[in-house]
Amino acid sequence: MPGVGPKTAQRLALHILKRPEADVQALAQALLEAKQQVGFCSICFHLSAEPVCEICRASNRDPHTICVVADSRDVIALERTREYEGKYHVLGGLISPMDGMGPDQLNITQLVRRVNKQDIKEVIMAISPSVEGETTTLYVGQLLKPFTKVTRIAFGLPMGGDLEYADEVTLARAMEGRRELE
Amino acid sequence: MYLKTLHLRHFRNYREQQVEFLAPKTILVGENAQGKSNLLEAVELLATLRSHRALRDRELVLDNAQAGQIAAQLERDSGTVDLAITLRSNSRRTVSLNGETLKRQLDFLGIMNAVQFSSLDLDLVRGSPSERRNWLDTLLTQLEPVYAYILQQYNTVLRQRNALLKQQRSPHETWRVAEAAHPPDSTQLAIWDAQLAAIGCRVIRRRARVIERLAPLAQHWHQAISGSRELLEVRYAPNVQLGEDDPLLVQQAFLEKLQMRAIAEQHQGTTLVGPHRDEVEFTINQTPARQYGSQGQQRTLVLALKLAELKLIEAIVGEPPLLLLDDVLAELDLNRQNKLLDTIQDRFQTLITTTHLGSFDAQWLKSSQILTVEAGQISM
Repeated sequence: MPGVGPKTAQRLALHILKRPEADVQALAQALLEAKQQVGFCSICFHLSAEPVCEICRASNRDPHTICVVADSRDVIALERTREYEGKYHVLGGLISPMDGMGPDQLNITQLVRRVNKQDIKEVIMAISPSVEGETTTLYVGQLLKPFTKVTRIAFGLPMGGDLEYADEVTLARAMEGRRELE
Repeated sequence: MYLKTLHLRHFRNYREQQVEFLAPKTILVGENAQGKSNLLEAVELLATLRSHRALRDRELVLDNAQAGQIAAQLERDSGTVDLAITLRSNSRRTVSLNGETLKRQLDFLGIMNAVQFSSLDLDLVRGSPSERRNWLDTLLTQLEPVYAYILQQYNTVLRQRNALLKQQRSPHETWRVAEAAHPPDSTQLAIWDAQLAAIGCRVIRRRARVIERLAPLAQHWHQAISGSRELLEVRYAPNVQLGEDDPLLVQQAFLEKLQMRAIAEQHQGTTLVGPHRDEVEFTINQTPARQYGSQGQQRTLVLALKLAELKLIEAIVGEPPLLLLDDVLAELDLNRQNKLLDTIQDRFQTLITTTHLGSFDAQWLKSSQILTVEAGQISM
């Protein structure tokens, strides 16, 4: 399993053996149910047990803003901030010809259709600034620009970080993305 | 800067070895294949995180061991630092500074500086352009550690773009079928082009800048060693011409050249434009050095380049770097040896490997620390 080494795996296995049978039964059941029930939301492609996920169904969220991310993990991270009130769209990866990932392998057409059909005021690109992430951001941006405003999240210094200790790459990026004081 | 100690554990043919450097010059003497060059390679790794001899970390780890380690104590003007690299045969290497593991390897670069001079460096003149690009990149990485990041990004974009071109390439016989399977995605290609140009431009400008500073130094040393009026010129010949040093103009020239070569690129399924096709030209009295002259003259040229590297690193970093002479002193005649030794004096800590001490000046031997290397063991 990802992120679990042999020692941790052994610890987990022994822990499970020590638990009462009912607990183990519940865990096994939960795993099975998760596998059987969790699929993708038909609108935003976030992980969901229902055909349409909770976020897409929520009526108190702004339906005119879509935040585009690469992976469901990014939705969870952004949700933790409790700052974002709009909807999401999960691409399911990044453009990477080396891995055979082109635009057709990602949920890009569905996104364009969504933006095209609905009244979307802003699409926020929230994708990691790697070479592949940059290409994906620019690609999706170009497709959507005719229909709506496309923005991207800022990159720069972490909060609580010290300017002096920031590396050159991050600093240069932060300088590039500077903005006027309000 | 001064390397005080080096500790090798399960590195190449060393099981466990502690070395203390007690004099500005250390001579490692031993038969072939005993581990002399391995020790210099460890120092090279500490300075550049690259080895000119190994492609994979697996090769650097003692046979049948899971992991190897290089640890060193380095004295700099600002104080003593502990450096360590852990190499693994089956996973990524980790680096640490003063006992703390660094999250980014980039932060490890530039702490220790070294100039390596081995008999392989003669390929700098004779060899393919990629040898010269490698040499230039290694030097740049030490001077501007962020360059390692830029270069890595460039290579990623290059590989991605090549993969895309390959996918879109349609062999003649199955032209129609291939066309239907993968219609050329011009939007995606244009984005990779833009990224290649943007990052490539940073590579080109940094390379141009370092050559500009290195060239006069090399010219000076070449004249000093050869004692003649031969004029050495080191010229950067980028694949994308660098007219004015303006990032936007360079990017524009880059994109224009990509457009010009578009059909050839589609046909060959690979990227034909960019700094991965750069060249560094050495000319002596305006004649290309590779055509010019004897082996001796080519040696003079490489020696001049290495001395220029030493001086350039010293000027930029503000402290003299280490000099690693791998089996190369014996290949130089007495006159060149003396020029080299005069320059080094005691300013540059120097590690020298040799198979026999006979070719060294007696005075010189006296002031050096001599270590014997035998089957992965070092003794005084």
